Amino acid sequence: MPVIEVADLVKEFRRPKRQEGSFAGLRTLLTREQTVKRAVDGISFQVARGEMVGYLGPNGAGKSTTIKMLTGILVPTSGTVRVAGTVPWRDRARNARQIGVVFGQRSQLWWDLPLRDSLWLTGRLYDVPTARFEEKRRQFTKVLDLGSFLDTPVRQLSLGQRMRGDLAAAMLYDPSILYLDEPTVGLDVVAKERIRAFVGELNRESGTTVVLTTHDLDDVEELCDRIVLIDHGKVAYDGAVAELKTRYAPHRELVVQTDALESVEGAEVVRREEGKVWLRFDPARTPPAALVASVLARHEVTDLSIVEPELESVIHRIYADRG
Amino acid sequence: MRALRGLRVYLLLAGAAFRAEFQYRGNLFINIIGGLFYQGVGLAFIWAVLDRFGQVGGWGLPEIAFLYGLRLTAHGLWLLPGHQLVHVDEVVIEGEYDRYLVRPVSPLVQLLTRRVRLSSLGDLAGGVVLLSIASASAPVDWTPGAVGFLLLAVLGGALVEGALQLAASALVFRMKKVSPIKFAIDMIFSDFGNYPLKIFGSAAGFGLTFVFPLAFVAYLPATVLLDREDELAVPAWLGWGAPAVGVLLMYAAYRFWERQTRHYESSGH
Repeated sequence: MPVIEVADLVKEFRRPKRQEGSFAGLRTLLTREQTVKRAVDGISFQVARGEMVGYLGPNGAGKSTTIKMLTGILVPTSGTVRVAGTVPWRDRARNARQIGVVFGQRSQLWWDLPLRDSLWLTGRLYDVPTARFEEKRRQFTKVLDLGSFLDTPVRQLSLGQRMRGDLAAAMLYDPSILYLDEPTVGLDVVAKERIRAFVGELNRESGTTVVLTTHDLDDVEELCDRIVLIDHGKVAYDGAVAELKTRYAPHRELVVQTDALESVEGAEVVRREEGKVWLRFDPARTPPAALVASVLARHEVTDLSIVEPELESVIHRIYADRG
Repeated sequence: MRALRGLRVYLLLAGAAFRAEFQYRGNLFINIIGGLFYQGVGLAFIWAVLDRFGQVGGWGLPEIAFLYGLRLTAHGLWLLPGHQLVHVDEVVIEGEYDRYLVRPVSPLVQLLTRRVRLSSLGDLAGGVVLLSIASASAPVDWTPGAVGFLLLAVLGGALVEGALQLAASALVFRMKKVSPIKFAIDMIFSDFGNYPLKIFGSAAGFGLTFVFPLAFVAYLPATVLLDREDELAVPAWLGWGAPAVGVLLMYAAYRFWERQTRHYESSGH
């Protein structure tokens, strides 16, 4: 039973066409000519309850525009969106109660007030009963380690602290769906890890559905089983992360630490460096065990490992192919 | 039930804005005094004119002060909750409005409570003091009905000014930059609102009643209260009906705002 259903979704932005020459500003104001930009061009996908989906794409691909239509911020030009039975832009307030939204670039907290006040206000706005609120706040204070800065005005928090505060506020009222837009942007490794661990746990413990847009593919590899890849406003790939790798990057690399290796049957030498040799092979044609055996049979090997392609390079290749 | 929740949420958010403002305590008094001073300069100008000519359009100092006090009070009463509409351009262009749309609360309420500007308290306090003094010296028979009408007129005046500012603000979703329009509206209110309209001639009087409904803020209700209906070019019941006009205009402006919000485009896509 899908909790998010998107069908033939389109969003166009119309701008008056900028005029040139004398009185350009005034003529731009009065013109009826328009330029139309299709940011989202017929996207369809579904997300099942409890799924964690990475929604990826290069800048300007239509990622944020889609998320804004899912959250009820933008009204679609055509197509349909249903989120747990509601049409987000039409039942905006009802939809707001069932979703948590965290924008990495923009805090939803009250800038001049202590974090504690933001949490309290959020609880009140979402009608969280007092006992439940206290319980949630205690839980998040512990899990996200908010204790040391609960009484600090939000504007004085570090980026990592602020993100943790934002996450707590977004989950305070137990929404069943969580949208994360660049949740780890600008964070150090430790802070990123903490955020990922929290989101992963939410999903496991409460079955929260998560839609994640990010430029950090480590977020996706760690959290998501499935990705939806979009480009130029269209879905370029929708499926399992593992399958994406097999389809677009079927090769593995065997890295061998050895003295001299010229060539091996069934593999291609792609790189040599400081006594290491990188051999690329297709596991469908050359079984890894056979390759390792044949290398070991003929060479003195001190170390050896098989490297999986990274999601990042896979995605780069897809975009490069599509031009 | 919905209205009650709306009021509760408004008070909750306005309270948060007040607490945030009190973090900068120094600003507080400067703002209030600034507001008082600004209005004081306007009043001094009229006083100078009256001192020289004795009357403006047949209105003496007590009547003009009454008119001025009525308009200033209405202005302050609108500005106290409505001031943040001044920032509607940046809120919409920079996408702050996104965050209002993902909460189960009216986006307009969130916009109005994003901060408080306490200079509006200066306007309101100045207006109330002036209106109280002027009411005592103006030739009005203060029956309970008249007092009631005065209170309704202040409220109606606030609604008229608020309606125009809200309608102009609603254009931001399509036009992106509306502050010049809103500034112009504010100028018309403060430049023409403090004088008996008849001194500007009948064409301007008509325009400032039926095209730009300035007359309903203070001039029409003040004229009927001062028992000067004879100088009106419109029937006196329009003056008595001014508060109702305020309610109607605000309702229309709110509907217009609601419709325009669908054109919100957020920022960066």
